[in-house]
Amino acid sequence: MTDRKPLYLMSPALAWLTGFMVIPCLLVLALAFFRRGIYGGIEYTFTLENIALVFDPLYARIFLKSAGIAGLAAVLAVILGYAAAYAIAAMPRRRQPMLLFFAVLPFWSNYLVRTYAWIVLLNREGLIAAVAHGLGYDGELPKLLYTESAVVVGLVYNYLPFVILACYAPLSRLNPEMSEASRDLGASGWTTFRRVVLPVTVPGIATGFVFVFVLSIGNFVTPALLGGGQFQMIGNLVYAQFLTANDWPFGAALSMVLIAIMMGLLTLQTFATERASGARRQET
Amino acid sequence: MTQPLLSISNIDKHFGTLKAVDNVSLDIRENEFFALLGASGSGKTTLLRMLAGFEVPTGGAIYLDGKDVSAIPPNRRPVNLMFQSYALFPHMTVAQNIAYGLEMERLPRREIAARVEEMLGVIQLSQLAGRKPDQLSGGQRQRVALARALVKRPRLLLLDEPLGALDKKLRGEMQLELKRIQHEFGITFVVVTHDQEEALVMADRIAILRDGRLLQCGSPREIYETPQSRFAADFIGVMNFLPARVGGGVLLAQTGVPIAADLPEGLAEGAEAVAAVRPERLHLGQSGADNSLTGTIGAMAYHGLDLQLHLTTPLSPQPVMVRLTADAAEGRPLSIGDEVTVGWSARDTRVFPA
Ligand SMILES: Nc1ncnc2c1ncn2[C@@H]1O[C@H](COP(=O)(O)OP(=O)(O)OP(=O)(O)O)[C@@H](O)[C@H]1O
Ligand SMILES: [Mg+2]
Repeated sequence: MTDRKPLYLMSPALAWLTGFMVIPCLLVLALAFFRRGIYGGIEYTFTLENIALVFDPLYARIFLKSAGIAGLAAVLAVILGYAAAYAIAAMPRRRQPMLLFFAVLPFWSNYLVRTYAWIVLLNREGLIAAVAHGLGYDGELPKLLYTESAVVVGLVYNYLPFVILACYAPLSRLNPEMSEASRDLGASGWTTFRRVVLPVTVPGIATGFVFVFVLSIGNFVTPALLGGGQFQMIGNLVYAQFLTANDWPFGAALSMVLIAIMMGLLTLQTFATERASGARRQET
Repeated sequence: MTQPLLSISNIDKHFGTLKAVDNVSLDIRENEFFALLGASGSGKTTLLRMLAGFEVPTGGAIYLDGKDVSAIPPNRRPVNLMFQSYALFPHMTVAQNIAYGLEMERLPRREIAARVEEMLGVIQLSQLAGRKPDQLSGGQRQRVALARALVKRPRLLLLDEPLGALDKKLRGEMQLELKRIQHEFGITFVVVTHDQEEALVMADRIAILRDGRLLQCGSPREIYETPQSRFAADFIGVMNFLPARVGGGVLLAQTGVPIAADLPEGLAEGAEAVAAVRPERLHLGQSGADNSLTGTIGAMAYHGLDLQLHLTTPLSPQPVMVRLTADAAEGRPLSIGDEVTVGWSARDTRVFPA
């Protein structure tokens, strides 16, 4: 017999999620299968046109571009975040909580404020330009703000604290004697990292990567503010369908594909984590 | 005399003001099964970690085959360490764990496979080669950790409390198993333990550490029969201590009766001392004995081969333990409350400053 207690304990949260998240989302997603009315609104006749339109090269390209930007942001965030987490975990134990606190500090400020801060930095008359000129650089600076790079930088910056936390967890749990055992058996420092430390901490990396990717690909604030008007990621496109183009069915169709991608990634990540932790015990 | 395999010369390790290892010198011979014995915190692991290369000595030097290895990093020393925590790689199977060290030597694939196979046979885990460490029992993990270090055929194998995590019965079996494996491979073992019985059973020679210092080093027999300090006498086996005092050039017990024994140098007239005698050196009656004491039987325990008595006597604040062979006890029915006299010879008495 399985213990039913966990089920009772989970039910309030489950009810909340179902009532206020899942059902409204499903209702919106269902719109994807209806026709758009001529003057906006919805015409309740079944169609697959909206879904098909998502795969139209015009929109598929935006999907790919968004995935590219999100992927780049996730890779950069993981590299930077892992390095930071590694450094923190290597510090004396009693100093680690404070370092973590500082690493995560920006996370507690408002998302918009943090993003606007980057406008101040990257702006033509901004801090970076001022520093460059102050150092005696007279030439034309490359355009910094309203570029794809600015969006990537903004996304990395915003989600970095989470990656640090996600990578710190397995790194701090690592038995230092495991690295020593590897050295003892003849491995160099680099080989030890590649063959022991890295594989054991893969769950943290996977969590960090998927988190940044999923949040980035659907993000519409950062591309809108740092990418400028001409630049659209999939999040902006969805936003526009619901709020300006007034094409709810197509917005719903775009969202549906986006959610499918995210679900796929989260499943992969869960799988990777389980595999790495060796949780799938063989029955004997 | 041939050169020792390992020569530890006046080695120190200080952590701040703490002297974890304090001026220890030891020679360990090729093929020896050597035990480092000491209570928790006595510096056993620290000493072992210096031999493996994980700690740099604060002072002194380590010679392996006559060469100073103190500054050689762990991955370049022909020495392997089996960790107290085993430190198996959780993402690798048993076979991969064992193969790891051989891969680092860049041996041909086929040779690695053959040696892993052989090793799995030695530790009797061939069936479980594909399991991950968290699918193994404690005893199985311990074997994998041993195999992983042993497969490299090091000049010197260091084992930190290899049997510490096992239950009593398994420990007993593994003690003999370790000895067998050591003999079969002809590798020098240095085993750390805080269990004196284990050290006596397994080791060719034992070094006793206390607070980072080396107290005594010798064969189990030497250490058991001729402990050089009260601590060593107390730490190894069971020992009776009779409080005494030097008076008129001889040892006098609490009650004033003389105790026949060789007095060590440096015990001045009037100095406080203890006379130590092992329970099995006491026998019933006083015929032919240099010393004797009379006491009341406070407790008795029958152990199959022998009979243990606790005697309450004015000679000692603690009850005196007597271990009689079953044969010796045969002729004489004993029961609690009986008064008995036991005797022992001067040769079996050791005297230490109190
Ligand atoms: N890295 C370190 N920094 C500071 N002190 C240390 C360090 N390593 C060990 N010590 C101290 O050195 C002393 C000896 O420790 P060690 O681990 O060698 O003892 P041990 O004999 O192996 O004990 P146990 O039987 O409990 O394993 C202890 O007092 C310990 O606290
Ligand atoms: Mg220890």
